[in-house]
Amino acid sequence: MRHTNRTGLSIACGVTAAVLITAGCSGGDTSTDDTSTPAESEPGYLAVADSSLPAGGELDVQTHIDASVATGLDPQLADLAAAWQLMSLVYETLVTVGPEFEIEPALAESWDMPDDTTYVFHLRDDVQFSNGRAMTADDVVGSLERQLELGSVWTGQLGPVESVTAVDEHTVEVALAEPYTPFLAALANVPASILPMREIEDGTLNPETEMLGTGPFVVADHRQDVSWRFERNDDYWKQDEPGVDAVNVQIVPQEAARIAALQDGSASLVTLGNVDSPALLQGASDVSVLTQANTDFYYLMLNSQWEESPFTDPRVRQAVNMAIDRAQIADVALAGLGHPTGVTPAGLPGACEPGDLPSGMADLDAARELLAEAGAENLTFELAIFSTDPAPAVAQVIQQSLEEIGVTVEIEQLEETSWNGKVYGEAPGRFDAALSWFAGYADPGMVTKWWNPDAAGFNLGFMESDAELTGLIDTVNSVPQGPERDAAITDLCAAVEDDAQMVPLVTRPSMVGYRADAVSVSLHADEGYGNPLRLLSEARMVRAE
Amino acid sequence: MRLFLWWLRRAVSAVATLAGVSILVFLALRAMPGGFAETILGPFASAEQQRELAERYGLDDSAFVQYWRWLQAAIGGDFGTSMISREPVASELGARLPVTGQLAVMAVLTALFIGVPLGVLTALRARPDGGGALGRLVSGLGVSLPEFVLGSIVVFVFSRYALGLSVGGYVPFADDPAGNLTAMILPAAVLSVFAISATARTTRDAVLNVLVEPYVTAAVARGESPAFIIRHHILRNAATPVVVLLSTITAYLLGGAIIVEYLFNLPGIGSYVVQAVGRRDYAVVQAGVLLAATVFIALNVIADLVVGLIDPRLGVTAEGRSM
Amino acid sequence: MSGARPGDVSGDGTSGGGAPATYPSTSEERRGVRMRIAHLTGWLRRLDWLSRCGLFCLLVLVLAALGSMVNLGGDPAEIAGGRLQPPGPDHWLGTDNLGRSLLPRLLEGIGVTLLLSSIAVLVTAVLSTALGIVAGYLGGMVNNLVMRVVELLYAFPSIVLAILVAAVVGPGRPAAMAAIVLVTIPLMTRLVRTASTSVAQRDYVTSAVVSGVRLPRILIRHVLPNVAGTIAVQGTYALSVGILVEGGLSFLGFGVQPPQASLGVLIQEGGVYMVAAPWLIITPGVVLILAILSINVVGDGLRDRLEPRETRSLR
Repeated sequence: MRHTNRTGLSIACGVTAAVLITAGCSGGDTSTDDTSTPAESEPGYLAVADSSLPAGGELDVQTHIDASVATGLDPQLADLAAAWQLMSLVYETLVTVGPEFEIEPALAESWDMPDDTTYVFHLRDDVQFSNGRAMTADDVVGSLERQLELGSVWTGQLGPVESVTAVDEHTVEVALAEPYTPFLAALANVPASILPMREIEDGTLNPETEMLGTGPFVVADHRQDVSWRFERNDDYWKQDEPGVDAVNVQIVPQEAARIAALQDGSASLVTLGNVDSPALLQGASDVSVLTQANTDFYYLMLNSQWEESPFTDPRVRQAVNMAIDRAQIADVALAGLGHPTGVTPAGLPGACEPGDLPSGMADLDAARELLAEAGAENLTFELAIFSTDPAPAVAQVIQQSLEEIGVTVEIEQLEETSWNGKVYGEAPGRFDAALSWFAGYADPGMVTKWWNPDAAGFNLGFMESDAELTGLIDTVNSVPQGPERDAAITDLCAAVEDDAQMVPLVTRPSMVGYRADAVSVSLHADEGYGNPLRLLSEARMVRAE
Repeated sequence: MRLFLWWLRRAVSAVATLAGVSILVFLALRAMPGGFAETILGPFASAEQQRELAERYGLDDSAFVQYWRWLQAAIGGDFGTSMISREPVASELGARLPVTGQLAVMAVLTALFIGVPLGVLTALRARPDGGGALGRLVSGLGVSLPEFVLGSIVVFVFSRYALGLSVGGYVPFADDPAGNLTAMILPAAVLSVFAISATARTTRDAVLNVLVEPYVTAAVARGESPAFIIRHHILRNAATPVVVLLSTITAYLLGGAIIVEYLFNLPGIGSYVVQAVGRRDYAVVQAGVLLAATVFIALNVIADLVVGLIDPRLGVTAEGRSM
Repeated sequence: MSGARPGDVSGDGTSGGGAPATYPSTSEERRGVRMRIAHLTGWLRRLDWLSRCGLFCLLVLVLAALGSMVNLGGDPAEIAGGRLQPPGPDHWLGTDNLGRSLLPRLLEGIGVTLLLSSIAVLVTAVLSTALGIVAGYLGGMVNNLVMRVVELLYAFPSIVLAILVAAVVGPGRPAAMAAIVLVTIPLMTRLVRTASTSVAQRDYVTSAVVSGVRLPRILIRHVLPNVAGTIAVQGTYALSVGILVEGGLSFLGFGVQPPQASLGVLIQEGGVYMVAAPWLIITPGVVLILAILSINVVGDGLRDRLEPRETRSLR
């Protein structure tokens, strides 16, 4: 059944979904903006919930995929963005991401950096887990240490952490082996959640099957792949939140069914995957569709490791990189909602300018020349994609644009598990090229780490590390923000296209539809962790009784 | 004695079929590209995580050992655990069976109460040359409307123009009968279009066959009333193919329900099994397909029993029918 | 059982002559074949108007499919205009979400769907005929074995069977064809077997056996012609099932690979655009229904001519 209901691959790439949320101008604990700014026009927000509405009521949400996969409900193991969005209703992190990717306080109300490798976090003293026990520094230390030992995808993103120590009950110190610019951004995502470590250690809580956090909601009921019921956490530390008494989430894989539910009012808020959904729902009364810009982006893997792949020759990879018309992908396959990008996600502060890169020049003659040099005129290759929208559309535009330089693309559309098996199942992977997307995160250096397969081992089946590239990635992630980092980022973007084992394409938009007559929501204009539900606890029901 | 032997044969062949189905499904699942441990955890998973997972579900053992283990448990009534939800498969299937069952029952009842009278009526009015092309066209159209076309259109029409029936939003009948029916009427209607048409066609053919039998002519000659003739001669004798068809249709509907459940987002068995195929959730697929096959076989047996009751002459000798 | 009468195909002793020539000589066999062809065309001519309409529709669809081979209406994969444009002079049937003209996509879809289903049903017909005739004629163990296997397949819900096949083989045309074959084989084999069983008891078969005709010859010369009607009728129905299975598979994402279109793919792609661009689902939807309907009425017409009423089938 399926069909289109799948989510992205695992990897921190996640899910096709998108967006939504509410937030708002409520408490101001975390918001940098003054609540006096007029609601709808607040910078960095697509919508701001009306906090003058009475709290209470139940919010019906539909999303396309459930959180739990084989790793269960453990947030530290979660590598799907779909999982992050539901887990974020229950779990919280030390810091969080604001409307323009700035790092804001969350469970830590402030932090100091006595030197460039030491972070001292001052924890809030009013935070309780939903079982009523107060959160302490031990929970924070234990949680971070647990993540560091897990060896999960996020362990790598946390960077060169040397030690985590509790200074006192409300102070935690983290020492890094060397400077690591994205550290705070890495702490701001669900896999860095603070767990109730005492309960986990004494065995009363199995985080794989049960969620217990400090967040605005607690789980009242879960039926895998069918529904969730979240009820308000009465002891939540943010004043006036959550704005609703309960959130009922239905898992609805079919886009058309979610649209139908939004139209007939059986859902007040839905995540949408089809890039035309905003246009499709334009005429529907009381329905608003917002498009959130993600830092997530599509990229093409060009297999340099399998001897039967045509891409063992770097010139062939470069030619393909040059010839793909990113603007056409953005305009046609993504209905104008995506943007061409370099390896640092377009839209993220500090990212490189994609127009200056070889891919932005669209020099088809140069591409043909490279192919001729490599003796690969009339090249034909197979492109493995998964069937989640809009990946097939992206692939077909690629197919059309490569035809211009005489390259024939044969698309092979697989269901997700088969795609995973084909691309990541063996080394070297037996495929020519594959299309996927990465979550772009909240710091431009983070996603670039996947371009070093020695660190991102999942890529070893189709690419090998490049010393220059690896050096630039390390520089970008260790140099503090400023001109030196900007220059390194520019060099890195160029080096990635020169290497062309994984070529960035366009950013991946996501859409949220909601009924303005039922709910008032807050939603960031940009999102780095694929979490449209980030501000859900700010939502207020318009007809709350 | 003959009856007993017949039932024995029947039981043996049912067991053989079920065993065959389970082996086929097992082999198919193992032959699919992308194993559970390697692919479900995703590319970020470490080799250790994969090993741990494979060990937990015994995926390291040979296919034969795995099947044997499954078979032993299944005979004891344990159909394993979903590797995704970690809940027993049997309980989830039990929770979902009512949804699919209700869909099928609603569609079959509709077929029975609309399709049969329609078939009788069109047969009685048919011209002797077997004409009635218009009737054939209409019922032919019914069996030619795929659920995924009809369903897609219905989903949009009813969500766009609030017509009182909802798309999705399933609630169990016991919790909220009205809400349940509101959510189930549309999918059941989509599903029943085919069932009604197929039933009407079969009924019409069966009645036409009976109409030319000498005993009907004789009854007419005797001056029996048309209503009596229809009830006592025609319906009784035309019932066999209709009953057989209804059992086949019910089984078919369990499959057709997959698309309808998908379109209308109903938490039934069809959507569960199809999703499980995509995730290589072996135990779920295994149990789900086995359940469908069991229902199919059971329906066949019931059809034979009913046919035997209606017309003892045919009874258990209905050779050539499935099983 | 078949509606073809034994007299049509066997000499029935009319060949006379000395020896116990109870089966026809070679030249008479050839005449028998010619007679059968004449009969078949006769049946076609005697189809009622509805079935003839169906045949006509099918013919039009086949011509449309042939048109796609010469790129009638343009290149189906080319991004030729703006996105989601309504039908108009530039694009008669409008454009899809990638700005491709729907007309050439539709023609291609018709061709792919018909070709794929026809090939698959041809395979089914050959396999089912072979299995059914052998099982029906020989009976006994062979019959049991064949019928067990057939029942096994029959016990699977057809869409689940198709999805399992597609998941094992990998999505694409081979998977769709394999799925259609496996879904259609059980019913056809059963019906052919039933027909063969009754033919096997006919006098002319018995006499052929008595006179020492070898088994393959009996099956091909005597049994096959007498079950040909069943095969033709069931083959027609199987074709409509094939189109349905292809559509269902494509709808669930296991069908032909992009950018190639099939009717199922077009309906799946168009489904979500129902509100804003209804032509994207309505046009291929109507064509698909028309194709299935045409095939079904042709099947009905054939059946009325070739078969007694009992051996009807479900979709």
